[in-house]
Amino acid sequence: MDKKIAVYICTGCGIGEALDIEQLSKVATSECKAAVCKTHPNLCSSEGSQLIRDDIANEGVNTLIVAACSLRVMYDVFNFEGTILDRVNLREQVVWSHPANDEDTQMMAQDYLRMSAARMKQMEPPEPFKPEQEMSKDILVVGGGTTGMTAALEVAKAGYSAVLVEKENELGGFQKNVSKNVTFPFKDVQANEINKLIAAVNNNEKIKVLTGSKVEKLSGGPCVFNAQIKQNGSTSDHNIGAVVLAAGWKPYDPEKLDKKLGYGASANVITNVQFEERAKSGKITRPADGRALKTVAFIQCAGQRDPQHLAYCSSVCCFTALKQAIQVKQQDPKANVFVFYQEMRTPGQGEDFFRKAQQEGVIFVRTQAPEVLTSGGKLGVEAFDELLGDSILLDDVDMVVLATGMVPAAAFGEDYKLKKEEDEEKKDAMVASVDSIFISDILNLEYRQGPELPELQYGFPDSHFICFPYESRRTGIYAAGPIRRPMGISNAIEDATGAAMKAIQCVELTSKGMAVHPRAGDLSYPEFFMQRCTQCKRCTEECPFGAINEDEKANPLPQPTRCRRCSVCMGSCPERIISFKNYSVGMIGDIIKSIDVPDEYEEKPRIVVLCCENDAYPALDMTGLRRMSYNAWIRVIPLRCLGSLNLVWIADSLSKGIDGIMLLGCRHGENYQCHFVKGSELANIRLSKVKETLDRLVLESDRVLFETAAITDYDTLPALLDKFAERLVEIGPNPYKGY
Amino acid sequence: MSNKVDPNFIRELEEFGLKDASKCYNCGTCTAICDLATPENPFPRKLVRYIQLGQRDKILRSPEPWLCYYCGDCSTRCPRGADPGETMMVLRRYLTSLYDWTGFARKFYTSETFEIIAVAIVGILVGIGLLVFHSGPINWTHTDLNSVWPSAGIEKADLIMAAILLFFLLTNAFRCIKVVMGEYFTKVPAGMYLSELKLFFINLFTQKQFGKCKDRQQWIVHLAIMTGYSAIFLMVVVLVNGLPLGIDWLKFQRGWASLGGRTEYSIFNPIRLIGYYATFAIMYGTTYALIGRLRKSKPQYKNSHGTDWMFLALLQLTTMTGIFINFTRLLDWPLATYAIYVIHMMVAIPMLVLEVPFAKWAHLAYRPIVLMLLNVKQNYIAEHEQVEGAVLAARPAA
Repeated sequence: MDKKIAVYICTGCGIGEALDIEQLSKVATSECKAAVCKTHPNLCSSEGSQLIRDDIANEGVNTLIVAACSLRVMYDVFNFEGTILDRVNLREQVVWSHPANDEDTQMMAQDYLRMSAARMKQMEPPEPFKPEQEMSKDILVVGGGTTGMTAALEVAKAGYSAVLVEKENELGGFQKNVSKNVTFPFKDVQANEINKLIAAVNNNEKIKVLTGSKVEKLSGGPCVFNAQIKQNGSTSDHNIGAVVLAAGWKPYDPEKLDKKLGYGASANVITNVQFEERAKSGKITRPADGRALKTVAFIQCAGQRDPQHLAYCSSVCCFTALKQAIQVKQQDPKANVFVFYQEMRTPGQGEDFFRKAQQEGVIFVRTQAPEVLTSGGKLGVEAFDELLGDSILLDDVDMVVLATGMVPAAAFGEDYKLKKEEDEEKKDAMVASVDSIFISDILNLEYRQGPELPELQYGFPDSHFICFPYESRRTGIYAAGPIRRPMGISNAIEDATGAAMKAIQCVELTSKGMAVHPRAGDLSYPEFFMQRCTQCKRCTEECPFGAINEDEKANPLPQPTRCRRCSVCMGSCPERIISFKNYSVGMIGDIIKSIDVPDEYEEKPRIVVLCCENDAYPALDMTGLRRMSYNAWIRVIPLRCLGSLNLVWIADSLSKGIDGIMLLGCRHGENYQCHFVKGSELANIRLSKVKETLDRLVLESDRVLFETAAITDYDTLPALLDKFAERLVEIGPNPYKGY
Repeated sequence: MSNKVDPNFIRELEEFGLKDASKCYNCGTCTAICDLATPENPFPRKLVRYIQLGQRDKILRSPEPWLCYYCGDCSTRCPRGADPGETMMVLRRYLTSLYDWTGFARKFYTSETFEIIAVAIVGILVGIGLLVFHSGPINWTHTDLNSVWPSAGIEKADLIMAAILLFFLLTNAFRCIKVVMGEYFTKVPAGMYLSELKLFFINLFTQKQFGKCKDRQQWIVHLAIMTGYSAIFLMVVVLVNGLPLGIDWLKFQRGWASLGGRTEYSIFNPIRLIGYYATFAIMYGTTYALIGRLRKSKPQYKNSHGTDWMFLALLQLTTMTGIFINFTRLLDWPLATYAIYVIHMMVAIPMLVLEVPFAKWAHLAYRPIVLMLLNVKQNYIAEHEQVEGAVLAARPAA
């Protein structure tokens, strides 16, 4: 593109009072080769925008540098069609956090202008990716239970077509076997309305229902998925835009329970799932001989909240026990019903339901380790009642109901990672933690990284919900309902609606060539210069979203619609063959090289801070907003993700004479905050290689520092940056200065 | 050894008026707010838990129901509406029926029909008795009760009645002492019991503990009924014939002749003053309670068992017939006086004979006894048991 550069400097918000604007303008026109350089006291006003628009129309400028506030604000104002634009953060990160009319502050502002100009030299306007095949906006829903059916209906209501795949011969899922429900407003048990839902789905023209079917193969990516669905022996192909995974759960196997709960030792000890089956048939009677129930005991947390079985709480079993207890009482008010619980959990608005159970006369015993006694043909429960401070014995029990938990359908099958490690001899220790993927035969993805969604914990294919609500680590595939977290029907309906919405957002954005969360609207995508590829597969393995497949020649085969534009691949490639139209290895390298590094006698060290846009950059902005100061040696370069760190930038910095490089990014590890899951972790691993090299070159490894920062850590940043600066002064200036 | 749960127990208590105890989720607010609960004898939560877990034995041995005076604070504060105050009342009814070895109390409490029939039978028997046994000649010109039913005769009848009454009351009280003391019953020497007798009398006459509750009016209402009734009982029963010694100027029921043709003591005669006090006190107390129960104005008035109505009804009727008889006596209407006298007896006697040993009035013995026993136990333990940390817990359970 033929670039005509224009620089606009806003002098409002204190910028004009703190800096020598004239000198700044001189840098813009002479060093940055700006054809136009204007200042304005309030650039974000309509007057300011008009000024820029006039210049675009009359002067023909198309490469804009707006030196004003942070790129995090006013992005809707500084947005001009047909131009490429960069923001120079003179406000939060220069004048609000450094002393006014100071030499170092001025040098900082001037450097930032140079850096922006270097960026704009390399930047090209992105062109949306258009795949060869026609894009589909249909939504595939895998699973025909409450969640799947709700998702399909919501998709249809919004005007899109859905394909609903259910492996059983009937729709309905687990709810087919349930006679009464517990749901809003939680005042009483309610009749199950699953048949209404099934009828609504079957009667909806926009939903294609395929029962007795499963997904044999799912290949491609958002808007270009190809699903091969097998039904009764014959396979059909479907072009799909996005997928909602609602394959549900299976009950925990009661044979695995602790023997002291009595399962298997007596026919009258059943699970909560088996209770539903009995309740569905009409009158609930004693399992062994059909006699009327006089005394029933419910035991909660059976094989749950226990590291030996299910380590988590399934969240619905307390509700279920209350419901079943009420059903027994409503059948016979004279029946004695006892619930033995560890904690009584009725999440959401369910306290009223607990109250209802008590009103019906159900007695609750809080105890941690109840035991079911099955000897002598009679059934009894012995437990230490915490309030009584003594143990009690309830004998002559007719039926014991054990509250077993929910296991997601995704948790079954061999671990793909372990299977792969058996096949491959070497284990690459430099790869970040690989996610567990179980071969559960649900989606059968044709993805190099594995055939199903990766799990977060306990087999649930969830993602970090703070940063990724309803997201998963596979773009365009949204897990909803009990497959992603144990939940009851009121939550499952909400979940399904949320996933349907995400799926629709995905197909809409992708069809325009845009990325989805978190870089929603981004039109750029990674391009590969395959001629120099050495097939090392780092990009393929390290992509947090499995967006890169592999072709027959072992080259990476990128699937741009799966891509979230995090640029982790860009950082991983040792040959640097991956780049975006507006973001590349060379671009950042040039930005670093444009920094003006004074020689060592001036005693003004230079520090490059490579800073991730998601949490670290905003934290720095917050520091400025709070008017906290730190040293003016630093030069901040925002990165999409620290995972896009390419080690050549360290080399570029050191050879330019930069004294220190700090990587500031999001937390990784078990409670990761990195918006791209693994980026921060990968940067850390790559850095460890650099430290070895530095030591060999007799350069202090202290010069490169990795720190994590959340947006709430803004108050610790000044101390952090100043401490780093002090350390660098201690070790002395970079010996490569001036070369 | 685990404590066996009797799951049917809670239903059994429904006959004694239990309604909402299963709503309790054991938060302890009731016990925290109670002015009379102590760390050694916490209530009502503990008792509600016993009921929920069907711990019959533990309840039988519990002194806590008698420590409660039903101020109602616990019910007011209960976040669940589980009415712990009423639950304690239910336990008092239940324990009363358990202490009674005849089984009469149990029937009285669990069947309203039985209650009404029992009162009716005793009343009718009294009526027939009075109509059959009277002396003659009857003075139809002036009101002279002694001409129909001489006070000496009434006195004898009263003594017989008192003997019967006391027999049942004391034997039941003995059973109460036995279960509340539990294993200490045989251990504690008689002298130790006697040393706390003073406490028994103080609680009997003043209901001092009730004064610790926040609702003082309730204590005053109760004291009014109690002192009013005690006073009139003293005069009408004990002094009916001027004590068994026949002291003339102490006689309550005096004839036309003994006062020289007058029917009245002088205005400053203590008998007259006490009579007035008693009348007003009882009428104030019972009317307050009746209106309260009809309006359900306070926690303790929200639930009215058949025995609660019966008690108040009998007491009010007794008092009102007593007032009427005073008027008819002053107006010198012999027939009316003698008729009301019969009615008065038909109401008062069942009340005494049934309520005191077998029903609601039995609490006049059990409360002060239990309060005394707790001290006795404490003294014994302090003296004879070297408990580590010196925790003087008067635990009721075995």
